[in-house]
Amino acid sequence: MNRKRALISDTLMAKKRKNATEKFGAVSDGPTDIKSTLEYLMTLFPRKLFNDTLPQIALKHQLYSIHSDKTLVDKENKLREKGELLMFQLGFDAEAFGLIFASDYKTKVLAGEEGKVTRAAVEKFLEKVLSSCRDLSFTKDKMLKEFLFTDSEITQLVKSGVLTVRDAGSWWLSIPNSGKFTKYFIQGRKAVLGMVKKSKYSEVLKAELEERRTTSQVKFHMKYHIHDIVGAELVESVPTTSGILLRFVDS
Amino acid sequence: MLGFLTARQSGLDDPLRLRRAESTRRVLSLKLNPDRDVDRIHGNGINTIDIEAVEGRYMLSGGSDGVIVIYDLENYNGKPQYTCRAVCTVGRSSRYVHKFSVETVQWYPYDTGMFVSSSFDKTMKVWDTETLKPAEVFEFEGNVYSHHLSPIARKHSLIAVGTKNPKIQLCDLKSGSRIHVLQGHRAEVLSVQWSPRYEHILATASADSKVKVWDVRRASGSLFTLDQHNGDKSKASSEAVNTAHNGRVNGLCFTGDGLYLLTTGTDDRMRLWNSATGENTLVNYGKVCNESRKRLQFTVSRGCSPEFVFVPCGSSVAVYTLHTGELVTMLRGHYNSVDCCEFHPDYQELYSGGKDCNILAWVPVLHTLDVEEESNKGAAGQSSVNPAFQDAWSSDED
Repeated sequence: MNRKRALISDTLMAKKRKNATEKFGAVSDGPTDIKSTLEYLMTLFPRKLFNDTLPQIALKHQLYSIHSDKTLVDKENKLREKGELLMFQLGFDAEAFGLIFASDYKTKVLAGEEGKVTRAAVEKFLEKVLSSCRDLSFTKDKMLKEFLFTDSEITQLVKSGVLTVRDAGSWWLSIPNSGKFTKYFIQGRKAVLGMVKKSKYSEVLKAELEERRTTSQVKFHMKYHIHDIVGAELVESVPTTSGILLRFVDS
Repeated sequence: MLGFLTARQSGLDDPLRLRRAESTRRVLSLKLNPDRDVDRIHGNGINTIDIEAVEGRYMLSGGSDGVIVIYDLENYNGKPQYTCRAVCTVGRSSRYVHKFSVETVQWYPYDTGMFVSSSFDKTMKVWDTETLKPAEVFEFEGNVYSHHLSPIARKHSLIAVGTKNPKIQLCDLKSGSRIHVLQGHRAEVLSVQWSPRYEHILATASADSKVKVWDVRRASGSLFTLDQHNGDKSKASSEAVNTAHNGRVNGLCFTGDGLYLLTTGTDDRMRLWNSATGENTLVNYGKVCNESRKRLQFTVSRGCSPEFVFVPCGSSVAVYTLHTGELVTMLRGHYNSVDCCEFHPDYQELYSGGKDCNILAWVPVLHTLDVEEESNKGAAGQSSVNPAFQDAWSSDED
């Protein structure tokens, strides 16, 4: 007899889960840990489009489309705590957070600052603040007292694009030159959602959607957008015998 | 299951463990049962249902037409096919019926002699169940969205009332006074709930996106306000600081032991909070569709491990695991949006009511008879009477 006490939930629900995934063998064994998933998502990001000035950005909710347990993904903070991963508030949605590897970010930002007046302030910011603080936004108090920046230095940081205005006296951490990214991203998302919506019964097989020819509106890789709309629950992902079906969710 | 039974028999496991395992197994197999029906009395949508705490036998329901109905849930006729009959109704013909829709009904927690109903006609009535006449009527200045009586109170008999006015009124059943007012919210209060663990703790949810927890004995304001970012002010925009949701908060539910509080909001999110510290446990349930402009009545299972949350989501009821946020299943059966649901802890059944004027009973699927067994029973010529009701002790000789 098995002396170890299993959780009641495991005993009762494990059988159910196995049945579901075995029935529709559509579930692919993707990478099981967050870091490799993020690296995979980064490869989908088009670097050429921005002439290599932007670091590769993945969105937090894209992780939900790959890993089924959202709470576990949220609680996985080790990368952020170690300082390897940075999170940004992207601005177009209260819940859309962008993730960038810290090394990527630093190299791209410094490369962008070559020969500019603001370079010194930006270097100081990257060294002092990013290595110690994990916040998404900074208040004036904090900048002046904790990190000993002067007003003029803060103005330079805003000019260079590393900080964006949030409120009177506080700033979001941001990515320089990310305006283009946001614009293309929202355009592409709208176009892909439109494709799903216009299909018969507002549903389309994921494999088929990936094969479709993209309009000029969609500048990113199709898979990047699909992970985004599935993770943000703008479409419902239904497992079927022919693969995963994406059904538009009316909200 | 056999493993649990053997462990219980030999004393390896606690008796409670077997009970929890069986309750969980039953909840996981909830389905619409053609044998179980609830009488259809309401002519308009059903806004609220409540099952009494004493025996779990009687259920109250309040509808959009102001009608209140009491159903008997027990099945004493020996057959599996059963319709829960309406015992009595406060219909449109009654002199004392509410003029507009009834938003909340609740049985008196200690016996079924009394129940309290509140409605959009700006009144809250305390009814005597026997005569179906209101023993007391409380009038307010705005629509009453929600009221709640503490299920464990011994030292007070206060009813917390949430109305269109940002102030929460506490009405005393014993004296009829309404002087005690809780101030702090800035917009209409959509839902109020007493804690099932401490009789003086009250949680209130409002359209200003805030959820406040109060101790009614305290003269100054609330104990704390729930913050979805757990004090991490950098994560949100400055208006969203100290809010529980990014939209109106329209549903509140404590878990059975009172240790956790669940809130739902119109930002399509549901959050689980530690009720003692007000900390967001950051369990991610995903998108919980919520478009209700009034209170949303949802419920948590009791006596299972793990606990489940039943939330009305559009025209179906979504079942989530409480602590992991996993969607277990969607219970589909209603024809229109579902407004309320209530869990019967003794039988692990779920009752849900909605705009399609139906109350559906979701019953755990029992062991289904094989075809051979059924034909045998038919051949015997007897109707399937439950052996518990059969006369097994009187002898034919006498």
